[in-house]
Formats: sequence, C-alpha cells, structure tokens
Amino acid sequence: MNKLLLCVLCLLAVFAAVVPCFADTVNGVLAEERVVNLPQDQGKWYVSVVGNTTDSRYNEIVGWFDTNASLKKLKNQVHFCPVTTNTAIYQARYASNVKALPTVRMQRSDGTVVYEAAGKNLPMTAAGLNGALAGAVNTAQGLRPILPWRREMERRCPSPGPNPQPNPNPNPPVDPEPQPIDDNGPPNVEPEPQADLPPWGLALLCVGGAIVGLSTGYGRKLYDKLHPRVK
Amino acid sequence: MKRVLFALVLLASVAGCEVQGNLGVSAPKKQERPTVNVPAALRQSNWRGSQGQGSCVHATMISLFRWQYRLKTADYWRRTYGDGEYPEDLAARFNKEGIRYAYVTNGDVRFLEWACRTRRGCGITVMGGAHMVALVHLDDKWAAILDNNNVERFIWVPRETLIAEWKASYGWAVTPIYTPAAPLPQ
Repeated sequence: MNKLLLCVLCLLAVFAAVVPCFADTVNGVLAEERVVNLPQDQGKWYVSVVGNTTDSRYNEIVGWFDTNASLKKLKNQVHFCPVTTNTAIYQARYASNVKALPTVRMQRSDGTVVYEAAGKNLPMTAAGLNGALAGAVNTAQGLRPILPWRREMERRCPSPGPNPQPNPNPNPPVDPEPQPIDDNGPPNVEPEPQADLPPWGLALLCVGGAIVGLSTGYGRKLYDKLHPRVK
Repeated sequence: MKRVLFALVLLASVAGCEVQGNLGVSAPKKQERPTVNVPAALRQSNWRGSQGQGSCVHATMISLFRWQYRLKTADYWRRTYGDGEYPEDLAARFNKEGIRYAYVTNGDVRFLEWACRTRRGCGITVMGGAHMVALVHLDDKWAAILDNNNVERFIWVPRETLIAEWKASYGWAVTPIYTPAAPLPQ
C-alpha cells in the first residue's frame, strides 16, 4: 500500500514539474527570454499575386490558391503575398515593375524572378497556373522539364474544377490567416496528377498482344501449309 | 550506310529531348539594401500616447506589421495602443491579441541575425533602453536602423557599434513573425 502511495506521489510530482514547461507556449513561440522554434525560412521562395480588388480575374486567381489542392499546397510552401493596388506596398514595390494586372510572380529568396505572367498571358485555369509554376520551378532547379507529349496530355485532361468558381470576399475585415511557420526552402511543386493506364488495362494489353502474336504466327504456318513453296 | 545515318539522326533527335537549360554560373545578384527595405509610406512615426509618453515601441511594431503584410493589424495597433512599453507588457499584449512574435531581452546577437536573415527585421532598444528603433539590416560590417523619430531615411552604423549600443540598452529585441514583403525583382 505504501509503495502504491509512493508511486502516485512520484507521478504527481513529475506531472507538476512537466506541466509548467509547456504552459507558456503561445502560437508556437515561447514567450520567454529563451526563444525557441524561430523559423529558419530564409530560403523560402515568394509568390506574389498582384491586382485590383475590384477585378474579378484577380479575385479568381487569389481564390485558386485556396481551392486548388496543388496551389494550396504551394501557398503553404512559399511566402505568399497577395498585393492589391490600393496599398502603399504596391505603389512602392510593384507599380514600377509589373507589366499588366493581374500579375503572378514567383521569386527565389534572393529576388530572382523564376516565373512571371500578367494580364492575358496568365493561364486560364488553376491547373494551368500550377503547371506553369511547376515547370518554372523545375527549370530553375535544373530538373528535367516535362516533355512536350506529356504537356499535351496534361492539356487534354484538365482536372475537374468547381462550377461556379468560389469568389472569396475581396475585403476581409481582418488580416488573412497567417501562413504556417516552418523551415522550408524552395517549393516542391508537382503537376496535377494525371489518370495513368490502370494495371488491369496493362495486363489486358499484354494478353491482347500475345493473342495477336500467336494468331499471326499460326496464320503464317497455315498459309505456308496451304501454299507450299515452289522449290 | 543508310542505316547508320538513320541511327545517327535518331540518336541526335532523342538526345535533343534531354538537353537542359543553361545552368552555368551567372553574375552575382545585387542584393537589396537594406534587407528590410520598408517603403516610406509604410513607416510609422512616433507619437505621444494618452499618458503623454512617446510610443516608439508601438511605432516600430506598426512599421514591421506593415512590412509583413499585417495591414489591418497595424491599423488596429495604431488605434488601440500607445505610450511607453516594457518587454513583458508588450508580450502580454501580443498574447492577448493573438499576435505571432518572438523576443529576447538578453542581448543575444543571433536573434538580430535571424531577424534580418529572414527579412523580417526587429525592434531593438537603444539610448540606454529609453528608445526603440527598427533594425532593418545587419551584415558582417554594417547595420541599418529606421528611427521612428525621423522616418525619412535609414541610418547606417558599423555593426559592432550598433551591437554595443543595443547590449548597453538592456538588449531587448522583438518582432512579429509573418510573411515579409517579397524582394524587388532581380
């Protein structure tokens, strides 16, 4: 009985010592002198979407980064900067260097522009924009680009999208949700997944090929038998 | 001979598919200076609070909020808070408002380096702890600050001078942690 009591007391003591250690964390940052979990995200790339809040095209493109799974994933891997023309930051840092509105620009952490499209040059669909960004990332990182036949296949098979497209409120009353804190470097953008030939289809193809091959061989033998060579 | 030629042409055409872009070494990029290049329109000047005190800490935080795309938060902060501030009290306000932040009060230079490396900047104490300014650049030789008592220009000082001043001023540094403005295109 005494041992049991001792165990319970020990457990309580350990619990009392551990709980305060976690009590002061707020938003993942320890609000004390010893700062922990500082994001080492200096290598993160930037994606800016620049436009006018009254422009439905701009709102549609910003919305893609919430509704399209691939773009949403990308948004969480980069510093995502939706910039509107009515802000001082647009006047100071974008007005002089964007060609048209809306603009989508992807930059390395040092400012090098990896991808930029504006106005009518912007892809029509979320999947198209994702593909363009994925291609730009791959090219910038020296990866093998998607071959033309593959690109054509992707063009023919657009991913399904909701209709009508959701239109987020262009004037939210508070700042948007902050991005997650992490140590990410360059983004890993993958093209939209494509419908590949299913395994049973491949098997069917193989069986079909074998049957055709055998029947061709048998047909030739039969032909030879019926039409003996002239010697 | 024809077959050999055909094979060569085929090989050349297939090899063409594998050619990658020119990935050679390019000229070094000109880095933006200061790293945290807060535009003039985003800089918040100091003001007297309801108790007649200067609001340098809040002014610095507001400039950093704006730089980190927290425009609504910055406006709210300007309307709501003012006067002088202590580290613990500011931390309590940040906690209350759900602000993501980090701070030190021990003069750890690594915090300043991190804040400038990640392009967020931070507020630092100067003048024996009587004033706070925004640290907007820190490299091997130079530091730059944005003083809310004169937001017209950045003030450049040798790195060691700035660090000595900061350490002699209680070594308090604080910053919100959100998305910094994108660098200028290169």
